[in-house]
This record gives sequence, C-alpha cells and structure tokens, in this order.
Amino acid sequence: MKHLKLYKVKQTGNRAFLYLVLIIGAIIAILPFLYMIANSLKTYSETVTRVSANPLSPRFWPKVPQWENFRIVIDEAKMGAYFINSTIISSVTVSGIFIISTFSAYAFSKMRFAGKDIIFSIMLATLMIPETVLLIPNFLTVSAFGWIDKLPALTIPFMGSAFFIFMLRQFFNQIPNAVIESAVIDGCSHLRILWFIAVPLTKAPIFTVAFLAFHGAWNALQWPLVVTQTDKWRPIAVGLTRFVTEAGPESQLRLAGAVIAILPILIIYMIAQRQITEAIARTGMKG
Amino acid sequence: METEGNMEKADSTGKRTGIMRNLFRENYQGYLFIAPAAILISVFGIFPMFFTVFVSMHKWRMRRGQFLFLDNFVRIFGSYWYILLIILLGLIIYFGMKLWNAGKERKLRAPEIPGKSGSVQHFLGIIIFFSGLLGLFILIPNMYQSGDSNMMDSLRVTIWYSLGTVPIQLFVGLLVAVLLDQKFRGKQAFRVIFLLPYIVPSVASATIFERLFSLRSESFANQVLIAFGREPLQWLLEPSGIFSMMFGKGGSEGLGVIATYLQTWVQGPSLALVSIMFFNWWVFVGYYSLIFANGLAQISKDIYDAAEMDGAPKRTVFFKIIVPLLSPTTYFLSMLGIIGTFKAFNHIYVLRNPAARGAADPMSIHIFFTFFRKSRFGYAAAMALLLFIIVLGLTLLQRRIMEKRVFYGE
Repeated sequence: MKHLKLYKVKQTGNRAFLYLVLIIGAIIAILPFLYMIANSLKTYSETVTRVSANPLSPRFWPKVPQWENFRIVIDEAKMGAYFINSTIISSVTVSGIFIISTFSAYAFSKMRFAGKDIIFSIMLATLMIPETVLLIPNFLTVSAFGWIDKLPALTIPFMGSAFFIFMLRQFFNQIPNAVIESAVIDGCSHLRILWFIAVPLTKAPIFTVAFLAFHGAWNALQWPLVVTQTDKWRPIAVGLTRFVTEAGPESQLRLAGAVIAILPILIIYMIAQRQITEAIARTGMKG
Repeated sequence: METEGNMEKADSTGKRTGIMRNLFRENYQGYLFIAPAAILISVFGIFPMFFTVFVSMHKWRMRRGQFLFLDNFVRIFGSYWYILLIILLGLIIYFGMKLWNAGKERKLRAPEIPGKSGSVQHFLGIIIFFSGLLGLFILIPNMYQSGDSNMMDSLRVTIWYSLGTVPIQLFVGLLVAVLLDQKFRGKQAFRVIFLLPYIVPSVASATIFERLFSLRSESFANQVLIAFGREPLQWLLEPSGIFSMMFGKGGSEGLGVIATYLQTWVQGPSLALVSIMFFNWWVFVGYYSLIFANGLAQISKDIYDAAEMDGAPKRTVFFKIIVPLLSPTTYFLSMLGIIGTFKAFNHIYVLRNPAARGAADPMSIHIFFTFFRKSRFGYAAAMALLLFIIVLGLTLLQRRIMEKRVFYGE
C-alpha cells in the first residue's frame, strides 16, 4: 500500500470525481487566456456585440481573426520597442544577478573568512523590507547618480539580490566539502573551482534561479514606472499598463498587448515545465 | 593563474607560513567574492532604510524642505498623544500576552500547588491584554477622525484584502492538493496548468481581468450574471461595500466617533476590491495546491496505514493527522500570503479604477500615488515606514503564534 487512501482512486466513481474537479480547475485556470486570445483577434465592434462567456459558443471567438491588431499594437502602440527594451533589461539583469550571486553564494557556502555569518544574516534581513519602503530613497539615490531614464537605473539596483544569493548558497551547500578541499589541495583556485566544479554541478537549479530572475525582471512595474520618463528604456510592463489606463475602449488592442507580454515567459515555461513546477513546488520560491 | 603561483611559493617556504598565507588569502578572496553583492545591497537595500527615516522627517517635495521631525507621523495619527498612546497600547497588549502565556505555562507545570499555580498571572494577563485591545478599540476611531482618514481607509482595504484572500486560498488549495497527491494519469499536465496563472506576468494577466470584470454589460463577469438572470454590476468600478450592497445601507447621520468608524468596516470590502480578490484566488489557488501537494507527498504513508488499521474515519485522518502534519507548509504559505497582500502592487495598479474612488486602493498603492503623483516624498516615506512596522509586527506575531502550533516532527 504505497499511496494515501483518503480517496480510493481505484474505485471508478472516485476517479471520475477526481478528474471532474481537476478538469473544472484546469478550465478556470485556462479560460482567461482563451478570452485573451479570442478577444485580441476580434474587431472593435465584435468585442462589443459578439460576446459570450462560453468558449464552446462561436460567439466567444472572432468571425475572422484580425491579425492586423498585432501589427497595430507592435508598431503604433510601440509594443515592439517596449518588448526589445524588456528583453535587453531582463537579460542584463539576469546576467548581473547570475555573476554577482554565484560569487557571493559560493563564498558564503565554501570559503572561510571573518564575519561571514554576520554579513550573511544582515543581507538576509534586507529581504524583510517591502519594496515600497525602498522606493523613495532609491529614487533619490538613482537621481543623484544621474541614472534616470537610463539602462543602469533599471538593472543595477536589482543585481544585488539577497534572495538569489540565499537560493544559490543552498545549492552550493549540497556539494560535499571534500570535493572543494581536494581541489584546493591540488592547487586549484577558488575562482576555478567555482566555474569548473561548483557551477557545472548545480546547472539545473541555477537554470531555475535564472528563470525566476528573468521572470521578476520582466514583470517589474513599480520601480520602472518611477525611473523611466520617456519611451527610450520603458519596459513592456510599463508600456502595457499605460496602454490599459490611457488607451480608449479598444480592448482588443490591450489584449493583443497582453499576448505579446506573456509570450516569452510562456515559451520558457512550456519548454522547461517539469523543472520549473518541480522547483516551485519544492521550495515555493518567488522571484 | 596568480593564486596558483602563490600556492607553490607557500609550499616551498614551509608548512606553517603556507597555512597562514592560505588563511589570509582565503579571507581576502572571500571579501573579494562577496564585495559586489555587499556593495549593491548596502547602497540599494540597507542605506535606504536610514535614508527613508531621514526623508520622513522632512517636508520633501522633489527636493528637501524644512525639517519637521515627527510632524508627518502626527498628520497620520492625528496628534502626538495618539502616537504615544498607540505605542503604549502596543506594549500593554504585548505585556498582557506574555503574562497570559507565562501564567498558562506555570499552570501546566504545577496545577495543584496553591499560590504557585499561576492562576493570578493568567487572570491578570488576560485582563491586561483585553484592556489593551479595548484601548485600541477607542483610540483607532479617534485617530480616524482627527488623523489621515484616507491612509486609514487604505489600511482597512489592505486588511480586507488579506482576510478575503489568504484563508480561502489555503482552504481551497489544500483540497485540490489532496487530489493532486493521488496517483493518476496526466498529473504533470494538471500541475503545469494549475501553475500557469502564477507563472504568467501579473501585469499581463491583470490586463485580462480588467476586461473580465469591467462594468460593460458585455464583460465576462456580467455575461455570467446575465446568464443567471441577474442585473449586471459595476465590478472594478464599484466603490460600495459588498455587505451594504447585499443588506442595504444604514443611516450614517448623527453617529458617534466609534460608530462612524465601525460603519466603515460593517460595509465590508468594496465590490471593486472583491473583483481584485477574484484575480488573487485565480493566481494563487493553483500555486498553493502545488506546494501543499508537495508537503503531502512528504508525509510518510505508514501513518495512513496505521490510522486505517485502527479504523479511523477519513475525516479524523484529515483533521487530526494531515492538517497537523502539514502545519509547516500552512505556516509558510500564510506568512507568504499575508506579507504578499501587504506588498501587492502590480495587479492592483492595473486593476484599480479611479471611478472606485480609492475603495480598492491598499496601502501600497496609496503610498505610491502620494509619492509618484502628488510628489509628497516626506509624507509618503512616513507612511511607508508605518507599513514596514506593520509588516514586521505581523511577521513577529505570526512567528510567536505559530511557534507553539507548528508541528515540525520529531
């Protein structure tokens, strides 16, 4: 008897019930996305007249898909430019987080130096501080640096992340110390141990960390709202919210914008779904 | 590499100096490795904490103005006396709680010995604790009247938001988790789908919900109402509280300070806020169930077998075995959920509508607009500090409560 017998799934009645509940849940999870896709392809008048809450009804879907909506959103609403901005911002942020966090996580996990534990707990304590509290002073700091409306303002403040240092340290802790010690005795420097032993050994978890960092950078809104004043470096999250709050009633265009904002994350998620669901279920981590 | 060269030199000059040099090198290399992170976290994570205190004590609109000391806080609470009183009441409640607990523990340890049983302590603790609460009950309506009522309204919205989301998500999440823990075909597909709302960027998914819950009769939510023969609602644009919508409004003329304040609570969360809660449930139920399912999978199956052999009914197994054994997961999720609702920003920024007249704006949003739209840096910093103190207090309180209840196993 290996498995929990709260419900005996071998009985067909219970199995049907199990699937019924899970399928209803799955429909609720997916329905908004279907609504988004259907409505992003409608004409404006269809979004008003051709409506239904039932995805099986033809009225839920457009008569003729309006791919033109996407061209309008990408060109005229500049969603294409925001998309490129976000791609650059997120890639730079993730690279920075990766390099900076692996170095310090390795040091906290495998090296000996005075005051290590104190420094580590001070870093961890910063995780308690809500973003709202940091917003005003950091805005003043970044203005003093002259970074407003420039790439560094959108990337560098995120690079020192206690959260990712903590995660990576957990992974490095799983590497036996004997491996590191024997490498040191063989005359290998810590720099080389880090890049040629520690990082390759923790490739899979590091990928999840990178995904979460990318996700966080892609979804960041509060800070970019404050430090961008022109379209030059405005990320897609800001572009989309401006579109929502300032565009007129043309909801098909907003939803086309939402499709574009979702796509990259969705694609990575679909490719690496097993790894990502596993990592989140196990650690509940949130970037 | 340079370090390797050093190593060879150290070996040739003898063992002891080699070890010393190694220690030194490890020290300075360690600092070098953590330096970038330490500098960034100091500049953008630690220094701002002090700087924000400095900003909160000034009149600060874009640039620094006059030094106000605590005037910004006085504006929030109504007067210096109220600040002092609320700190005092906080201490009284804390002290009462400690005494209550200490008395209870002594009672457990020595229930028979008169005078040493802790009954007096227990009793006194309860009295002090509840008189502190009573004090708050009188003080807060007065603060609402003479302090910043907009800020207090946003705090009420935040509290409703937490109460309306976290318990429901925990409950439904656990039920779904029990199903997800079974063995069946297509499990991974369901896991992927259930996590989808959590994975998708919230700015984009909130854009969808902004349409689903719009006031127009063709919006999804109104289509569902119409299908059930109901009148369409204003959803995200509706500032009225749901209780007053369901049971009708009471008159608010000529009521006392306390009654006026209580009435703001009795109305319930606004329909606009409830629409945002729908979004929250949609995002987090799947996430909670995945984490609960992982917790369930770690419970040893022998325990179920033993319970079944003893003939324990399913309900007993669920409430007496599964729920207690899952308490670390529940603790983690409720902590994350409450702090998350207090910090919530992205989706609310998208979903809120000015037509709801702030009835769906929690503290995080209220602070952001005070800073960003009104450029009142000093006052916004003061409110942000208050938010920080509340979150910190909640975390500590929750930790104290859970310490005793959470079962981490032997």
